[in-house]
Amino acid sequence: MNANLDDPRLTAHALKELDSSEESAVEALLAASPEARQWVEDVRQTAERLAFHLGQEPCPMLEDRHLDCIDARLGCSSVARPTKPRRAFFWLPRLVEVTLVAALLVVLAAMLLPALSSAKKKARYMALMNDTSPTEFMHLEAATLQSAEFNTESYAHIDENAFVTARGNPLSTFSIDVDTASYALVRRFLRGGQLPPKDAVRIEEMLNYFSYDYPQPQGAAPFSVNVEVSGCPWNPNHRLMRIGLKGREVAVASRPPCNLVFLIDVSGSMDTPNKLPLLEESLKALVRELSAVDRVSIVTYAGAAGQLLEPTYGSQQRKILRALDKLQAGGSTHGSEGINLAYDLAARSFIEGGVNRVILCTDGDFNVGVTSPGDLRRLIEEKAKSGIFLSVLGFGMGNYKDSAMETLADRGNGNYAYIDSLAEGHKVLVEQLSGTLVTIAKDVKIQFEFNPARVSAYRLIGYENRKLRQEDFNDDEKDAGEIGAGHTVTALYEIVPRGKVVNVPRIDPLKYQLAPNPLPGASTDEIATIKLRYKEPREDESRLLTQAVVDPGSSYTQASRDFHFASAVAAFGMVLRDSPYRGTATLQDVAELAERGIGVDQEGYRREFLKLVEQARHLSSNSMRR
Amino acid sequence: MKRQPAEDAEWVRSAIRLYEGRLVRYVARTVGDTDRARDVVQEAFIKLCDQSADRLQDRVCEWLFTVCRNRALDLLRKDGRMTALNEQDLNMHPSGQPSPAVQAQRHDEMNRAKEFMDGLPQIQQEVVRLKFQEGLSYKEISHITSLSVSNVGVHIHNALKTLRERMRREEGTFEPGKELCSNEC
Repeated sequence: MNANLDDPRLTAHALKELDSSEESAVEALLAASPEARQWVEDVRQTAERLAFHLGQEPCPMLEDRHLDCIDARLGCSSVARPTKPRRAFFWLPRLVEVTLVAALLVVLAAMLLPALSSAKKKARYMALMNDTSPTEFMHLEAATLQSAEFNTESYAHIDENAFVTARGNPLSTFSIDVDTASYALVRRFLRGGQLPPKDAVRIEEMLNYFSYDYPQPQGAAPFSVNVEVSGCPWNPNHRLMRIGLKGREVAVASRPPCNLVFLIDVSGSMDTPNKLPLLEESLKALVRELSAVDRVSIVTYAGAAGQLLEPTYGSQQRKILRALDKLQAGGSTHGSEGINLAYDLAARSFIEGGVNRVILCTDGDFNVGVTSPGDLRRLIEEKAKSGIFLSVLGFGMGNYKDSAMETLADRGNGNYAYIDSLAEGHKVLVEQLSGTLVTIAKDVKIQFEFNPARVSAYRLIGYENRKLRQEDFNDDEKDAGEIGAGHTVTALYEIVPRGKVVNVPRIDPLKYQLAPNPLPGASTDEIATIKLRYKEPREDESRLLTQAVVDPGSSYTQASRDFHFASAVAAFGMVLRDSPYRGTATLQDVAELAERGIGVDQEGYRREFLKLVEQARHLSSNSMRR
Repeated sequence: MKRQPAEDAEWVRSAIRLYEGRLVRYVARTVGDTDRARDVVQEAFIKLCDQSADRLQDRVCEWLFTVCRNRALDLLRKDGRMTALNEQDLNMHPSGQPSPAVQAQRHDEMNRAKEFMDGLPQIQQEVVRLKFQEGLSYKEISHITSLSVSNVGVHIHNALKTLRERMRREEGTFEPGKELCSNEC
């Protein structure tokens, strides 16, 4: 290693541990030497990976006899901890209220108890049946980590959207996204006692995890468009603009018939309680919602692909459930054969006018075998065109290929969710069944044109890997996201009004442009125009919606509850990512903003969010970094 | 503002909930087995009962790690696994033969981090864990280990040099997939 690079001060600087007296010397060194800068970057990356791997090591708790000793010393007779076993699986959330799910737990426990190796584990499973207290929630141990797994999680790196001037970049174009996996991933990390890796935090997916109270569509379009502009809580000089789309609801009774093929990864790596058993129970919950007009098939893949269940009517519950029972892990994965078989079955039992979908359930460790990633993508796109969509359900951790799974679902015109608990499985596959399965609009793109007379600069929060080029907006060949029935899609722009200072790198003035005169639109009070393109599910030509946006000038406190909650979620994401754009936002602020926006919260998801913020605060202050 | 005994008890219990797992994990790495680690951590919390919450305030975490570390080293000395010579060795040479418990853990494929750190001098392993597993600052680590802050920096720097190479060799560049399904069979 280069003599002048072998300097612990550089490392300290990379880790933000450098004494201020040394700062200027190190800054000079960095300015002069690209190798030094590279070293600093390497240190940060190595540190992040190291922290990740180290964080996977389990934290063994004290046993009862230890706690009893401490209690005795404290001089109290009451036990220091709740009477029920404190250790429970991290993926079981507090609100396990549905009777059906509770019944499934009995089934699950009965199924799995014989397979467990020790009485201790048995006790833990019994603990699942009980409610966990708030303090326990914070310290649930990832007991499943004790199984053998390779740690090969991967998240695509995200370069956050920067502020851009409205004059230089009047058009902002992106594809909508209804994936929710990032929120579940962040939740999994926080519950496991760790702050999530920054690139696992996708703000748009966190925003879209929650449902908002947008009105049903009135006109011909399958979704409504709702824009709200108000104050920005993390920067008093800025404004926030929130766009919300609401897909038309489809009543359960009038849900189109479904032809579902479950393509299940049963390779050895799936053999942990947070994967195959959880998958089984989630699918069973879904199957119970199906009826005689629906069709279900099951294909497993690992080593060789196998058909576990031929296309069966949804009313034959016993037969389907029994097939799911037979799921057993073993072998390594050979995904491509499985996919071909799955699509064949889907084609065989195709329902015209219905929902035809392959649901890939995996922990990411799926091997394509002889087929190249390019071929797989093309296959999925081709099938989507023929009407068989693909959704992806992610399970477990360790082999989790988040970015790969997201891309597959994207190509397949389906959605991608991460299932870390029975409750989440219930949410995705039962509560939001219609939304998960019934696409009401596909290839939905949004393009904003900002008015430079009113807007100095703007920034799209999140959606980094959904951005489209301007030209892509009108190009129907270009793929974009889908909206499911009843689903909402939310996006936030941070706006710097004309006249406020903004920190954007300066571009030299142009020399050759034809002298522009402001167009008539500039003198209106519109701050922007929103355009949307979408396609009806079985059509190939897009339709256009247009709406002008005006800023009524209301203050943040006057904004709607949903606006408050959405901005809290966005702020949380920015703080977790340590974003340079988070302004004055702290976790304390996030908690306050979220409290204000809780509203009715029937399913309890918003209250759960508050708990996660609390947990993040604990973790941040415990590390004593700040 | 005198604290009530009940408040103190709550403070200790809260510390237990927050730190027990992390402390046991940390101590287990030094003494080599989880059960003895638990005993060490139990003793630390018992000592905590005698401390004043007001005086410790937010240095509880650092205090607990320091107490645990000292007790763990005491145990090793008593065991005879550490002689006066070894103590110096702690700073220079790779750790000695791991105990059977630790060897068994090697088979646990979850121990990726441990594989990477294998063979690093004991003190580097310890400082790396305190920094990257427990998220403590150089200053806190120096208090816990009785090393100077700059010494801590040197150990971390040296450890990272080795770890960077190992990780690079093992996993290539840590650029999470733009390709799909790039896993091997």
